[in-house]
Amino acid sequence: MNSVSSRTPRFVRIGALLGVAFLALPIVGLLKRVAWSTLCRQLTDVATRDAMRISLYASVCATVLALVLGLPLAWCLARMQFSGRRFVRALVLLPMVLPPVVGGVALLGAYGKSNGLLGGLLNSLFGIQLTYSLWGVIIAETFVALPFLVLSLEGGLRSIDVKYEESAAVMGATSFTRFMRVTLPLLKPSLVAGLMLAWARALGEFGATITFAGNIQGRTQTAPLAVYTMLESNPEGAYALSFLLVAISVGLLVGLRDRWIGGSSQ
Amino acid sequence: MISLHGTVEVGSFSREFSIDVGNEIVGMFGANGSGKTSVLRTIAGLCPLGNGELKLGDDLVDAPAKNMFVLPEMRNIGMVFQDHSLFPFMTAVDNAAFPLLMRGVKRTAAVKMAAEMLEQFGVAHVAQHMAPTLSGGQSQRVAIVRALIGSPSAVLLDEPLSAIDEASREGVRNHIREHLVRLGVSAIVVSHDRAELDHLCTRIENYTR
Repeated sequence: MNSVSSRTPRFVRIGALLGVAFLALPIVGLLKRVAWSTLCRQLTDVATRDAMRISLYASVCATVLALVLGLPLAWCLARMQFSGRRFVRALVLLPMVLPPVVGGVALLGAYGKSNGLLGGLLNSLFGIQLTYSLWGVIIAETFVALPFLVLSLEGGLRSIDVKYEESAAVMGATSFTRFMRVTLPLLKPSLVAGLMLAWARALGEFGATITFAGNIQGRTQTAPLAVYTMLESNPEGAYALSFLLVAISVGLLVGLRDRWIGGSSQ
Repeated sequence: MISLHGTVEVGSFSREFSIDVGNEIVGMFGANGSGKTSVLRTIAGLCPLGNGELKLGDDLVDAPAKNMFVLPEMRNIGMVFQDHSLFPFMTAVDNAAFPLLMRGVKRTAAVKMAAEMLEQFGVAHVAQHMAPTLSGGQSQRVAIVRALIGSPSAVLLDEPLSAIDEASREGVRNHIREHLVRLGVSAIVVSHDRAELDHLCTRIENYTR
């Protein structure tokens, strides 16, 4: 413990303390503004209940959709050699670095009712309109959540030693059985972490949702949109809902603690 | 019967082999890097032949010139891997029962058979332990059970006794031989321990480079 590297200079400690204060202060400020006596009433308000219902439903749907699209994608990125792999990988990462509003604009370009690439076709053939609908919320959330799931699953798949799948094959397991009974159990930690990250990202989605699906209370207004909308008209409600979202996020961190905060592993 | 005549290629390794194994236990002796493990992987179907032909019984299973390659899961082989490769998320008995489940045996029957065979090999007391908690010797015994349990038509053993302590080697060796004779199959045992092969095998091929 007395090696040169373990003696931390004072300015580093001060910097770290400032960092902690910078992160903690907004949370303290938020908690201070919550009107605890009316919290229950605020959270059971129609607009808040609608927003939470839409948020939970859409974020779970988006996570499932991200899994359906993301698992095959992660598999190909981790296990296959194909030309254009780097391109596909960059494409997967793009929604992570893209401003969410731009993502929403891009989704309009693809699925917009009147002039979207696919949206016009969907509308004229099947009468399906994604914009300003619950499906629009789900699509927008899937778009931003997918990269988190793919990255987590790809890393997980890469770290699995193929020897287990090989021995399963020799013992007579077909490729489907190998996937279900060997790969999936080995992938479980990455799968759980990826699903939770993707779900958190979907739950917090704002920019792409408001651009692509709008902000219609009871139809496309998710919890983050409701907080933003209520901040003007009903700040007490906005703080109450914010508190609920903080609580959910903390719950998620507790769920991920072994992986990210290093609870039991250290 | 195992009959391999051709080039075994794994990564940068490449060597000609000409092996015929009837209903006998053939030992392959050779130093590290002589390709013993690669031969087993080729026979199991985990690495395709570079060229030549591989037959299991009367069936041609690998012949690049004829565009013939039978997948490993269709070859009915029992194999002990050098590092055992037990599934880390399963108990010892579930690992041992896996080949039976793959052959359509009902779970309760498979687990019962696996438990009996684990007992023969002296590891019944750890049947319910998760694979990663087993000692090297215990894990190797489970791997041996797993290789023999599914009535394979060929058995490949890669250093099957390396982790088992001196005192119990003879017992394990006798059980292996007993099962191989009962199955009446071709078996190849790979080792760098000449004395070990002398004890277990009916014939020994030397592949020292």
